[in-house]
Amino acid sequence: MIGLWEEHVIAASEEALPFGVMPGMALRQAEHLCPQANFLPPDPESAAHLRELISSALYDLAPTVEVRVEGVAWLDVSEVVNPGESIREARRRLRAALGREPRLGLAPGLFSARLAAARARPGRLVQVDAAKTFLSSLSSHELPLDAEQLERLDLLGLRTLGAVAAIGPRELESQLGHAGRRAVLLARGLEPDQLTPWRPPLFTSAHRQFEEPVEDREAMLFVARALCGDLAAELGLRGAGAKQVCVRLRFESAEPEQREAVVRHPLSSAAELFGLIGSWIKEWQPRAPITELWIELPALEGAGRRQLRLWAGGDGASEEVTAALERLQERWGEHVVHKPRPALLSSPLPSQRFAG
Amino acid sequence: MQEIALDAAINSIRVRFGSQALTRAAELPPPQPWPSRTPIDRLTGIGGLPHGRLTLLSGNGTCGKLTLALLLLAGATREFAHAMVIDTGSGFDPWTLTPFYPELGALTVVRAPALDLAGEAAIALAKAGAGFILLMGEIPEHALGPLESGANRSGTVIVGVVDAPGRAFAHASSLSVGFSRTDWIWERGQLVGLRATARCVKNRVAPPLGEAALEIRYALGARKLSDLPVQVVEVPRELTCESAVV
Repeated sequence: MIGLWEEHVIAASEEALPFGVMPGMALRQAEHLCPQANFLPPDPESAAHLRELISSALYDLAPTVEVRVEGVAWLDVSEVVNPGESIREARRRLRAALGREPRLGLAPGLFSARLAAARARPGRLVQVDAAKTFLSSLSSHELPLDAEQLERLDLLGLRTLGAVAAIGPRELESQLGHAGRRAVLLARGLEPDQLTPWRPPLFTSAHRQFEEPVEDREAMLFVARALCGDLAAELGLRGAGAKQVCVRLRFESAEPEQREAVVRHPLSSAAELFGLIGSWIKEWQPRAPITELWIELPALEGAGRRQLRLWAGGDGASEEVTAALERLQERWGEHVVHKPRPALLSSPLPSQRFAG
Repeated sequence: MQEIALDAAINSIRVRFGSQALTRAAELPPPQPWPSRTPIDRLTGIGGLPHGRLTLLSGNGTCGKLTLALLLLAGATREFAHAMVIDTGSGFDPWTLTPFYPELGALTVVRAPALDLAGEAAIALAKAGAGFILLMGEIPEHALGPLESGANRSGTVIVGVVDAPGRAFAHASSLSVGFSRTDWIWERGQLVGLRATARCVKNRVAPPLGEAALEIRYALGARKLSDLPVQVVEVPRELTCESAVV
């Protein structure tokens, strides 16, 4: 169980949930419910790192993805062509990353989806079609209100979300302030909250530290190729390309050397990255044995153009080929480039068979 | 002891002539083949034509090299966005491609009567990242280096068709397949095809795998040419010998 003393539970493991422990409840209350639990203080840095990892793993499954540190991930699959596929893949990736089955909920909004997932068995999906109907029978303690506000709800006799939904937003606002209005909207399944989409950082890097300083250029090329492969896999996941490439060599007893360049078109595949970086390493004359190799991609941008590869594998950018043909025509004349289009294929005269 | 001496010799070569002067086969980058789905895939040893390398099809006279090149080109038009033919004066006619069911929208022919133009076009297109380039003849020696590096960078598949390659052209190729006709195929008094042997004479991407016997049947008949595909199939060696005896 993770949380600060005198404050609330931030996250609780699967084993603590049957005891009634829930994220958001006071830690003292959680200790009372589950005294044998281990209580850990929060580690914001590790949590943020983990959140980034999970976000990047789920990023390509839906247009909008949000992961929160308390262990909840939302995917907006409303515009996904095959949502079932995305959900299955999300389950697979989370299972591989966490080593246990995630609970899955599919509902029209964030609040109802979260509650649906909380009611699913590990690895199973609870699907909610009508949020209001699903929510009406649930306890009003599911609302994101503090202990005092929840107590007031009890005193008002609003013990289910259905009861909360039945009263007007202004009436509850007069009792609980703005949170009351929001609570009514949530209970009615109107979902006032929006997802905050996660965006991948516009910077990435990979590095390898050598146990023994390396002098062999072939070994450097081998390592560089592997790092390029790792970076390309990450870029592919993000749908990004590198606009700037920087290679840094660290030495045991000398200042590091580096080389960087801005590229005209974003590099996204391992072959493209290694094509540039490999050529640098081949001609590099390091002043001492190398202890560490860094490859940084300080500027990333969307590699949307590269989506053409889905249709025509192995080709470069179509505009570049077209531009090359135009340059040839400018230099050598229009007649040099010929794009044959069928006209009269059965004609005995070769000149009539094709146009263009 | 021998290994130490060999390592010392290898290191001295690398020190004197650069690290790329000598490369261990195990350190070679893994080749990325383009599976052409033709009998030549087996000969390359990597299951397809290598990306970013020059493949040469050579042989004297009528031996099937151009038919195979057209088959590769037609396949490339279906799989790449840009399949280029650099016609160095041989008068390439797109009509000869129709029996192979090409996707003509992807085909571009560069007419290059001058060798310099052919070289420049090949380099520019390889650097730009065209998927496939068919060279219908040799290009100048000074263009071969930039062509190789450009193709290596972009991964362009380059195939050259020549009768007998010059030294520079042969040296620049990573894969060279020599064709020689062994027999004509006659049916009912009509010439319908030929038998040839395709032999891998140079292979920088895998160990050379010997040779294959091919049977090439032309598209013939009263129907439209495009109704009958040209067939290029690999036949078992024994069958070829029998046929030759008959």
